[in-house]
Amino acid sequence: MSAAARGFEVVIGLEVHVHLRTRSKLFSPAPVSYGDEPNHAVHPICLALPGVLPVLNARAVELAIRAGLATGCRVHERCVFARKNYFYPDLPKGYQISQYEEPLATGGAIDVPVEEPGGELRTRRVRLTRIHMEEDAGKSIHDPAVAAGATHVDLNRAGVPLLEIVSEPDLRSPAEAAAYLRTLRALLRSIEVSDADLEKGQFRCDANVSLRREGSARLGTRTELKNLNSFRFVEAALEAEIARQAAILEGGGAVAQATLAYDPATRRTRVLRLKENADDYRYFPDPDLVPLVIPAGRIEEVRRQLPELAPRRLERLQAQYALPEREARLLGESRATTEFFEAAAARHGDARGVAKWLVRDVKQVLAERGLELEGSQLRPEALAEVLRLLDAGRITAQGAREVVAVLAERGGDPAALVRERGLEAVSDAGELEAAVDAVLAESAEHVARYRAGEAKVLNFLMGQVMRRTGGKASPGPVRELLARKLGA
Amino acid sequence: MAGERGAIRALAAELAAGRRSAEALVAGSLERARAEGARCNAFVHLRAEAALAEARASDARRRRGEARSALDGIPVAIKDNMVLEGEPTGCASRILEGYVSPFTATAVEKLRAAGAVVIGSTNMDEFAMGSSTEHSSHGPARNPWDASRTPGGSSGGSAAAVAAGIVPAALGSDTGGSIRQPAAFCGVVGIKPTYGRVSRWGLVAFASSLDQIGVLARSASDAALVLEAIAGHDPRDSTSIPQPAPRLGERLDGDVSGLVIGLPREYFVEEGVDPGVLARVREAVTRLERAGAKTREVSLPHTRFAIATYYLIATAEASSNLARFDGVRYGRRAAGARDLAEMYRRTRSEGFGAEVKRRILLGTYVLSAGYYDAYYRKAQQVRTLLRRDFDAAFAACDLIATPTSPETAFRVGARTADPLRMYLSDVYTVSANLAGLPGLSLPCGLAEGLPVGLQLLAPPLEEALLLRAADAFERLAGAPPVPPGAA
Repeated sequence: MSAAARGFEVVIGLEVHVHLRTRSKLFSPAPVSYGDEPNHAVHPICLALPGVLPVLNARAVELAIRAGLATGCRVHERCVFARKNYFYPDLPKGYQISQYEEPLATGGAIDVPVEEPGGELRTRRVRLTRIHMEEDAGKSIHDPAVAAGATHVDLNRAGVPLLEIVSEPDLRSPAEAAAYLRTLRALLRSIEVSDADLEKGQFRCDANVSLRREGSARLGTRTELKNLNSFRFVEAALEAEIARQAAILEGGGAVAQATLAYDPATRRTRVLRLKENADDYRYFPDPDLVPLVIPAGRIEEVRRQLPELAPRRLERLQAQYALPEREARLLGESRATTEFFEAAAARHGDARGVAKWLVRDVKQVLAERGLELEGSQLRPEALAEVLRLLDAGRITAQGAREVVAVLAERGGDPAALVRERGLEAVSDAGELEAAVDAVLAESAEHVARYRAGEAKVLNFLMGQVMRRTGGKASPGPVRELLARKLGA
Repeated sequence: MAGERGAIRALAAELAAGRRSAEALVAGSLERARAEGARCNAFVHLRAEAALAEARASDARRRRGEARSALDGIPVAIKDNMVLEGEPTGCASRILEGYVSPFTATAVEKLRAAGAVVIGSTNMDEFAMGSSTEHSSHGPARNPWDASRTPGGSSGGSAAAVAAGIVPAALGSDTGGSIRQPAAFCGVVGIKPTYGRVSRWGLVAFASSLDQIGVLARSASDAALVLEAIAGHDPRDSTSIPQPAPRLGERLDGDVSGLVIGLPREYFVEEGVDPGVLARVREAVTRLERAGAKTREVSLPHTRFAIATYYLIATAEASSNLARFDGVRYGRRAAGARDLAEMYRRTRSEGFGAEVKRRILLGTYVLSAGYYDAYYRKAQQVRTLLRRDFDAAFAACDLIATPTSPETAFRVGARTADPLRMYLSDVYTVSANLAGLPGLSLPCGLAEGLPVGLQLLAPPLEEALLLRAADAFERLAGAPPVPPGAA
């Protein structure tokens, strides 16, 4: 039974850590790289060798300002880097440079579309407490395959620039939390602040969750769930934690303030440490760095250069091309996708047709090959050409999908590909008629059912003709032929 | 090596005239470092072969007419908390045993770019925490004037190396007086520039907001020459002042007429000051007055809070700065630990000395939840008040004169059991670090056979003024005495 059904209101706030899209690290010239040999993307600064000093990456500041503005935050003209002190082998300095009392930005909000169980959309406004800059830690590797009984440390990630985006406890269900994360990710991608690739750990989430009796204004005791690194994981972990807290409260117990981890194997949350054992991070302003002063004019300059934001783009796609919301949302997710769509639509002429193809067929073809639009070899002009061939009846939908698959993997000229692969649609009347007659001859039962009024049997017969022609028969003429012969 | 004004220029002239070679000069320094240096334990590392090779390269440059500066071929020493690529940097600590740096400190790089030859690194209090160079993993350094006494600290090795005539100049670092106090104890000139004047890149941090690299030399003009070479903006240090290196040497004209010297009421109290020290300092001020300087009393009302403020801020920053010495990536790691916590505990217990541990504990406490406001935040507020004291005082005077230390060099071992008394001896020097001001100590005579230092403080960026006044005093007073055997 859900928490709501038991008379509890769920209160969730999220902390998101997102890697900024910079070439070098936040305080060091070492490159930001993923998948390098361990400890190769490093510099004396990220190793915390004796005598090194941090120097702030100006590009990271610009991206952080952009994120602050895009989320409606107030970007402060002065912010301060602080040291968060704790010992861990993957934290080379023994402290993380973060921001504490004076963060970069405060007080924004994000409007999150939430789908009701009935499929209806409503908007949840999630306020943002703050956005600050900090550096990532390295990775501790406890892999017995690398060395049994030993821990290895990889510092390639140490010092990679992060934004921490902290929400107010405005979310009311795990589904809302997931929707918030999707919206936030799309927004950050659209303004090119981050690639936010979950697989690469570029977008990570911690959640604070508590329950209170319906109607109560006081917040319950909250717990913190660490390292929720996929959207599905976030929902499952929150569901598990909500169930755990509800069970405690119903049993008359009190929830202890604690940090927990979610174990997907058992589908349960597990206490890592209780609040009384929490670290004292001894924050203080980093004396190696001067306060960061951002002139108001600079903030306005970044605002003027802000790329079109995802929500604005969504509205525009709907208005300008009369796209349904679902299609507009998918095409508006990243700027690259929008640009691809608009280029293909301009070339082809029928924007709605292009949109439909992109969100359904192209998406599926790419997904089957583990590709994404960005990074594939498919070009908007080529897609427009494929669709023109399809419209002209020179290839079938199946043929078009096949061409798109080849184009996505290695590019090329669509018309030439159609020829090379023998994908020209068969529209020769004689050839088609022979195929139709053969199918009708061997499908007596289906023909009888059709004549008895079962109209959808026509689709089965269409499929049979397609199979017989290797998918190359032009569907329009086939349908006409079948209808004519069956009607006769 | 002569203790007269401009020893480096005199040596440079000899090199230029071909009467001496840089190789002979460096060989002589290395020889004295082994003999005199051993007596006072001034050096922790000598790079004899590399230094001789660099000296030969300098001689070759000079023969081609390509000498880089007056410092080309001049032997110098650096403190053991400044890194030089390929050489060990130990901060006189067991925890950094065997550590060799892959890069070079900006100040050291600039010195070498000017042609100076680094012969080695000097002894110090571990991580620059101390006022006596006794807290060293290499054993205590000793004062060339009297081997039973300390050379002061923490740049005691650099001060001793200059006083003993091993090198004409050495780099030190000053967090609360660590250049000026040993300069006073050893009878040499020591200058701590304005905070941010010399890059801290490559200086192993003790307290980042207070640390500053400076120079120990036999005279103001030598100090000026070296400081000019190492100063200037460095993009690798975010706290570096975005101004080019100052021209210092050309303004040493001996003129102090009209100069207004402020004497802080709070510093000239009889209590707690050696009478001999106070007498020498007063005589020195009188000498400057006779040469045309004016004096007036000024007030620095928050002086009594300076020591407490300093030890809160310095230890807080140190507790964080020294966290990187954890045995994970470099330096010492305790063997045989069963888990991470034990590895940390044993590495740091074995690697750090008692004084460093005391300061890490104090600093950790100061920053702890519930104490931060009462200690660290309060100390930062008092720091602002101290800065304002100086602003107000400098509205009424050009320079401030004080004793450098309330006493002359004390005996080795005399203070180690009483850390608080040791901390209190920094009373005259810590304010300049808290306010970020330039300060200088120069020899102003002897008390009971031991050198006494006169401290001059100036407004930010006024190093030239400090050096001009110090140089003028040297002209008036004549060459300061040198320790027995170091002439």
